[in-house]
Amino acid sequence: MTSARSQSFVLGLIGVVLFLIAWEVIGTYRLAGLTWPPLSTVLVFLTTPAKLPLFERATAASFASVGIGYVCGGAGGLVLALVSHLIAPVRPGLDRLVAVIHAIPSIALAPLLIVLASADATPPVISGLGVGYVFYVAATSGLATAGAAHRDLFVVLGASRLSTALRLDLPSALPAIASAMKLSVPIAFIGAIIGEWFGASRGLGLLIVSAMQNFQIPLLWSAVLITAVASLSMFALFSLLERLVQERMR
Amino acid sequence: MTSAIFELSSRVAQRYWAVALVVAGWQIWVSAAGLSSIVLPGPLAVLTDFVGDPLSYAEPAGRTFAVAVVGLLFGFVLGSALAVLSWSSRLLNGLLTPLGLIFTSIPVVTLIPIIARLLGYDVRTVVAIVALICFFPAFVYVGSGLRALPPGSDDLFRVFGGSRRQCFLRLVLPSSIPNLMLAFRLTAPEAVLAAVVAEFLMGTDGLGHMFRKAAGEFDTERALATSLIATITSVACFGLALAAERRVLRRWT
Amino acid sequence: MPDTPAIRIDRVSKTFRLGDGRELTALTDIDLSIAPGEFVALLGPSGCGKSTILRLVAALEEATAGRITIEGRAPAELCQSHRLGVAFQDHALLPWLDIEANVSLPFHLAGRSVDGARVKDMIALVGLAGFEKARPKQLSGGMRQRASIARALILEPEVLLLDEPFGALDAVTRRQMNVELQRIWSRHRITTLLVTHSVDEALFLADRVVVMSGRPGRVILDLPAPFARPRAPAVMREPVFHDLVDRLTEALEPEGAHP
Repeated sequence: MTSARSQSFVLGLIGVVLFLIAWEVIGTYRLAGLTWPPLSTVLVFLTTPAKLPLFERATAASFASVGIGYVCGGAGGLVLALVSHLIAPVRPGLDRLVAVIHAIPSIALAPLLIVLASADATPPVISGLGVGYVFYVAATSGLATAGAAHRDLFVVLGASRLSTALRLDLPSALPAIASAMKLSVPIAFIGAIIGEWFGASRGLGLLIVSAMQNFQIPLLWSAVLITAVASLSMFALFSLLERLVQERMR
Repeated sequence: MTSAIFELSSRVAQRYWAVALVVAGWQIWVSAAGLSSIVLPGPLAVLTDFVGDPLSYAEPAGRTFAVAVVGLLFGFVLGSALAVLSWSSRLLNGLLTPLGLIFTSIPVVTLIPIIARLLGYDVRTVVAIVALICFFPAFVYVGSGLRALPPGSDDLFRVFGGSRRQCFLRLVLPSSIPNLMLAFRLTAPEAVLAAVVAEFLMGTDGLGHMFRKAAGEFDTERALATSLIATITSVACFGLALAAERRVLRRWT
Repeated sequence: MPDTPAIRIDRVSKTFRLGDGRELTALTDIDLSIAPGEFVALLGPSGCGKSTILRLVAALEEATAGRITIEGRAPAELCQSHRLGVAFQDHALLPWLDIEANVSLPFHLAGRSVDGARVKDMIALVGLAGFEKARPKQLSGGMRQRASIARALILEPEVLLLDEPFGALDAVTRRQMNVELQRIWSRHRITTLLVTHSVDEALFLADRVVVMSGRPGRVILDLPAPFARPRAPAVMREPVFHDLVDRLTEALEPEGAHP
């Protein structure tokens, strides 16, 4: 690591630590009122053995929604992108459909989904729709990034449309897809949490809303903190993957 | 004339066939399965409800739109200001950049209940939530725009002896405009959706509240019509932001 | 005092520190004087550090050893008093300004009021009359370079620095631009340092051609270009011109550095 990079790393670390200290101080001296607990209170609450089963159950339910939504949404978005890439005439229609579905407020989708599927299927579906949108947009633009010279080469070599897609377009789309994998992480969490705000029977989202309504301040902050840390770690992991892909494809 | 109409309709068909297919499938399914309108009304019933009393939607839609716009502007002013501050100081930049990154990688929507509890159930809280949602993209995009100078231009300003202030006003700030507009386009529809979610959770007036009330009274037609309006508002915001971005980019690049 | 050099590059060396801690010697012991009103072309293979010399003279880099002075003063002082003109290979026109505003930019940076008549004249001089309100993206590569040269000359700088200004142009446009630049320069006779890798361009434009070796950069040949000004394109067909082109080309070849 060069000195400039280690310097910015240290500065960033100091920034994060200052943020956490500010959180603690604001909470301790009640600078933002009673509803802002110090970080230490939240951490103590989080690690109370009696609360562990509650968090475990909620976290497991939410993570399952996030996981299912992420995998299915990502795969669906990719397949749809490939279809719209291979069959050019359907592209404008699919673009619009995806954009319209994305523009429907997720709180409006929830009741529809509760009717169409069930309350417990709603979080992964909303999560998957959000993830699918990011994958679709990134993959359709990524599939079109291959250079004219390469494309000409494939035409001259007599490659079929499918083999051009698989051997040229898909590899050139990998960096964009890797970015989508990273960027859709917080979206997957948002989808699952919002889905749970509408009558799911368990999950972090349910915990957050009921804690908000019942003034259970440490519980509210703890549930949000778990969500944030989970999203952040997954985001960091996929950033690493994204960097690897970009190095490899350069 | 007829050919123009034909061309227009074929363009519309080309773009909206998939949407139309989904809506038609929904109507057919509702009719065929004989679902009660409380469970799931068809698109025709939803449209009828809206056409029957369009004015009752106008007020909450206008409110939500206004709240979203005000929050968006607040978020952008604050985010851009912080980006400029962090541009001007290497120390501040080093401290803030990772925090900005962290906050863009967590689901900020989950902070809505916390802010609702901190600030109280109030319209101002909805504005604050929208501002928060818009703040981080503005900070990140404007920040990178302030560093995306046209090639060679910083050398040029140094050789011509431009002062730091001139360099900022004549080079750095204008360079960030395309990124600012990009962030604007990306967050404008999100601002409306965030406002709707916040209204839904806190019960402050607007489309989110209207939806919650209708859903609570099992007036599903009204609930779905409300979400249709919310979707249209969000799409309209996107369209406005896109048009603004295109105009600015034509002028700027 | 005609023997006081306008630009004095006094035994200058430049070492860059690379990201992984290694050091790269770009220039060693460069010694070069440019007389007032002289046009000097720096010729060399890519990566020989000729652009680094220009960047040192423009105060964009600091020399590791040795000293550079322009009329006895540090280059940075000239920047501060807005008396350097520069054009890069990349035109560096601001995309949000039209041609007129781009050419006027140095006035603003010098805190002077814009001399509209001079801007118009300068735009006409570089052959862009009628394109004052055009955006850089609407112009061809050659026209953009004309604009960037107009911008370099607008404040009547004491020293003009040209870093491969036509490097991105096609051969025909480049030849045309050389003829144009020769015409414009003959009107002003500003002390000029041109960095190029084109032998023809260097010989046609400059009073003196300085050839540099590959890394680390050293001066290996210093030839006068003895052609009367103003020069017509016909100069390039004279036998003397061809002889000099041959000598310079030979010096540029790797063996030429070690005869």
